[in-house]
Amino acid sequence: MPRALVLNEKDNVATLIDAGKSGDACALQGESRGSITLLGDVPFGHKVCIRDTSAGQEILKYGTVIGKASAAIKAGAHVHVHNVESVRGRGDQSRS
Amino acid sequence: MSATFLGYPRHNGSIGVRNWVAVISIMDNCNPVTRAICAAVEGTIPITTLFVRGQYGRDLEITYDSLGGMGANPNIASVLLIGLEEMTTEEVARRIRPTGKKIEVINLQPDGTINAVANGTRKAMRLAIEASGIRRMSCPASSLVIGVECGGSDTTSGLSCNPAIGRMADRLVDDGGTIIISETSEFFGAEHIFAARAINDKVRKEFVDKVVGFEQDAMKMGLDIRGTNPTPDNIRGGLTTIEEKALGAMAKAGTRPLVGVLDYGQPPERKGMHFMATPAPAVESMTAFAAGGCQLIFFGTGVGNPIGNMVSPTVKVSGNVNTLRSMPENIDVDVSELIEKGAKVTEVGDRLYNYTMEVASGTRTTSEVLDIRETAISRFGPTI
Repeated sequence: MPRALVLNEKDNVATLIDAGKSGDACALQGESRGSITLLGDVPFGHKVCIRDTSAGQEILKYGTVIGKASAAIKAGAHVHVHNVESVRGRGDQSRS
Repeated sequence: MSATFLGYPRHNGSIGVRNWVAVISIMDNCNPVTRAICAAVEGTIPITTLFVRGQYGRDLEITYDSLGGMGANPNIASVLLIGLEEMTTEEVARRIRPTGKKIEVINLQPDGTINAVANGTRKAMRLAIEASGIRRMSCPASSLVIGVECGGSDTTSGLSCNPAIGRMADRLVDDGGTIIISETSEFFGAEHIFAARAINDKVRKEFVDKVVGFEQDAMKMGLDIRGTNPTPDNIRGGLTTIEEKALGAMAKAGTRPLVGVLDYGQPPERKGMHFMATPAPAVESMTAFAAGGCQLIFFGTGVGNPIGNMVSPTVKVSGNVNTLRSMPENIDVDVSELIEKGAKVTEVGDRLYNYTMEVASGTRTTSEVLDIRETAISRFGPTI
């Protein structure tokens, strides 16, 4: 059973620390428990969605925004550059 | 209840976690005498330097401030300065004098190397005996200033050692202590995330100016050091955005507000979490921490980087099982349970915080015991 690490209880993604195959039940560790069924293959070090996320919603890792969903992402789906975009900005334009 | 440790009280109210006599080279040409004295006298540490002679302007100021800062560090009971001639030596001595600690001086001119080693050894011996009379006493964690560093990073760093160090950092800040994160270039492209933690607009601007200024200095040399971020191999490794990449490194600074921005080697003037502008290589960055008064450094590593600082004992933390197996002599704390056993960051970080108090009270680190320590003051311009 591949394992995935949740770094903050607010996170909607977990990072796989074993390679996962489609249909695998993936065990959640760290700040969350339980398991999630992978909807596709997820390589080592990549992320899986652990809560259904609609397009435009923030992606949280470390309890912090790492980007936003560019498409709806189902729990169990691979989360990466195909469905997440950076919201990177310049420090001089950062929110207060 | 706030944590406490057993530390050495200093005249200026600061608290040391070690009690060394520092033998400090004022110039590169003094290093052989410094090393000879330290080899002869137990309880001393050599603080060597490159350059000084021929440096000018900002670089010379940084070098004097850094040598003086390391002498002033609370881990140092007293200092022996090894100089070539009086005037340069006095530049460093006057920076240490306000601490009230004892300063002895040996200059190589006019008596030569053999006399300098003999006289310096006599002085260092007396200083070491005097220092050994200082006793540890119970001190609040709020007197600690800890630098957080990472090197030899890999995908395990952002998942294990850095978040665990971040939890330690939050605990120290909550207990009234001080944390410093450095390595300016590691913020390129994601400075807005860290800037959002600044306590006010002034601190936010200072931080962003440091990052952007560092980037511009590099660009002036005609090099684009950023590349496209994240890089193709980052993406292959699972990093989706620049925010995610930077957060892995920033995780070691925890989550508390950014209260101050420091120049290379500058001591913080208040408690809380600070940023210090330094180059990323570990030896240079940690030398700046020591000059800025850090009594300890926490160093997260993935694939393994053994180096520690001379003045600030350096605690190596890793969550990579392969590194823990292949180079165990270089790791002080194993946090692989975060990855391998599903342990919680909060629990592992809390244990790391308890260990902080042990090291602050005298438990030695791998780099101290094996003397895997080095000093390098950053140099930004040429010498003439």
